[in-house]
Amino acid sequence: MPDSLNFHFTPVDKARPDEQNAHAKASTDVTDVIKAIQERFPEAVTEVVVYAGEHTVFIAGEVFLNVCTALKEELGFTYLVDLAGVDRFQEDAPRYEVYYCFVNLQAGKRLRIKVRVEEDDAVLPSITGLFKAADWNERECFDMLGIRFEGHPDLRRMFMPEDFTYHPQRKEFPLLGIPGSLPLPPRTPEGELTMDPFAAARSGSPAKSYQEPAENDEN
Amino acid sequence: MPVKSSYHDQENIFSFWPRHNETILKRLESKDAWLSTRRGIEFSRAKDALEHEMTLNIGPQHPATHGVLRCMVKLDGERIEKCVLDIGYLHRGVEKLAESKTYQEFMPYTDRMDYLAPYANNVAWCMAVEKLANVEVPERAQWIRMIMCELARISSHLLWLGVGLMDAGAVSVFLWTFQGREDLYSIFDEVSGARFTVSHSRIGGLATDLSSKAIDMIRDFAIRYEEVIKGWQKLLNRNRIWIDRNKDVGTVSADEAIALGLTGPNLRGSGVPYDIRTFEPYLKYDEVDFIIPLREEGDCLARYHIRVEEMLESIKIIHQCLDRLPEGPIRADDAKKTYPSKNEVYYSMEGMIHDFMYTETGIAPPEGVAAYHAIESPKGELGFYLESDGTGCPWRARINAPSFTNLQGLESMMEGHPVADIVVLIGSIDPVMGEADK
Repeated sequence: MPDSLNFHFTPVDKARPDEQNAHAKASTDVTDVIKAIQERFPEAVTEVVVYAGEHTVFIAGEVFLNVCTALKEELGFTYLVDLAGVDRFQEDAPRYEVYYCFVNLQAGKRLRIKVRVEEDDAVLPSITGLFKAADWNERECFDMLGIRFEGHPDLRRMFMPEDFTYHPQRKEFPLLGIPGSLPLPPRTPEGELTMDPFAAARSGSPAKSYQEPAENDEN
Repeated sequence: MPVKSSYHDQENIFSFWPRHNETILKRLESKDAWLSTRRGIEFSRAKDALEHEMTLNIGPQHPATHGVLRCMVKLDGERIEKCVLDIGYLHRGVEKLAESKTYQEFMPYTDRMDYLAPYANNVAWCMAVEKLANVEVPERAQWIRMIMCELARISSHLLWLGVGLMDAGAVSVFLWTFQGREDLYSIFDEVSGARFTVSHSRIGGLATDLSSKAIDMIRDFAIRYEEVIKGWQKLLNRNRIWIDRNKDVGTVSADEAIALGLTGPNLRGSGVPYDIRTFEPYLKYDEVDFIIPLREEGDCLARYHIRVEEMLESIKIIHQCLDRLPEGPIRADDAKKTYPSKNEVYYSMEGMIHDFMYTETGIAPPEGVAAYHAIESPKGELGFYLESDGTGCPWRARINAPSFTNLQGLESMMEGHPVADIVVLIGSIDPVMGEADK
């Protein structure tokens, strides 16, 4: 018997970059910008992936901050729309990627940049000095994936309390949480702190928000 | 192992998560009070008993914070010297949850993000998945989605108007706008079967077609409310109290707004004409005639004007959509990518198998691809960035929530204003914590 069945009900499709996408936008065609980056920083662009009319530009971590400065001051990408981390969780590739979405308001262009981050050294330069909007997004990325941003003025957790020590969006973090990692208020007025809100889902004793009547009830 | 509770200990009751409060306070103390240098506001340092510095915690349970926003402010007399916002009290980890759900299964979660305009969130999610998996949506479905998105915009702005005025002390407008929301709920009920969390859009189209009664209700609403909204404009545009509360409060210049990453009406209130409906036209927005309201003042009053004018533009769009609504299917006919119709499911074996497979595995975009799709939700740019690993569940679903981005700007907007302006400012930014906290 094999350990697992290597069988998919739905076969996994491969991407076809030349396929026409009904939702592709003119604003995501940024070949000129990529060319400009390549001319300015010959070593910066490591890879460009095209899908659905969108270019994902992979930038080497060392020159990343210089590229961002050039993007803002020379190429007109002054508006940072989004910043987030992705956990790749594969053995042959760097563990994390951080993606940045910039918009050039004058030219009407949208650019996606990605930077790869190694697991052992999960540090990136912060771009809060250039884009104030990156502040909370970098904090969120740190909170969720544990990527540190060097030079961030205030790298606290964004959503989770400081008493929490894990980074929940990493792929190895269980969906039902880790019991005892975050004390929550008691369920009954006289009860203890709730250390595992998902006890019922773990087939433990179901949590009740009311007092059970005594077992030796006459009725 | 049971942990001894210190929760009922009167001394420790306020140190439930002690390190959390400690770090916020430390941040507040260390924060640079940049106002005096940046905006030229001089703080009075008079030795008046009422002008002492004070640290005040507002929220997360305060009703004026529109949810669970927590503001830690340092006051100099009555003026806010510096402020630290703390969010996350409604954090449910929907981005993490999405990774274990099929694409269609995740849609009800989007209802509960911006719960004031659930239909817009549904459409945003469906369109992102459609872009990722390259699904074409039939014409009729696109027009209906547009109608419902604009109704959602009106619904959200109505709540903002009513609650914003209630924050400023006028309760009666709140009752009037809720009458409007009630009418909208009836329309959503007729269209989707649910009043609040509609979940009516589907990947590749819609769940059901509009009934003729629903079309009548929408047209009736659009005709009636144009007059009603204009009446509110007459009441408020020249209202001395309303203007005094809003004018020159929370002023943001265009450059500041771009730097802070503000989005939606807050960005357009500062004179930046960035609206996804014209920036990257989706659905049929490039075929209808409407304008993007724009103001340059950048204060609360400008944001008020923008939202009210947007409602009138939405009504204009709805009229055009109803006039041009084409006949045809409401969902793409591709069993690998969308749900089959109910007739197929009930009367054919293949339809039933397809229905089961779609619920079980769902749509499976190509391996290793990524796509970002944004729509102009009532609060601003609502974008979903999706990465696929070739299975029925997304590998990464990133939500670019407008309320989160806007709240970031609120922190520096509040500094320098009196405490009483906090409620007006929060109202004018129009955050929904369900969305900001993800």
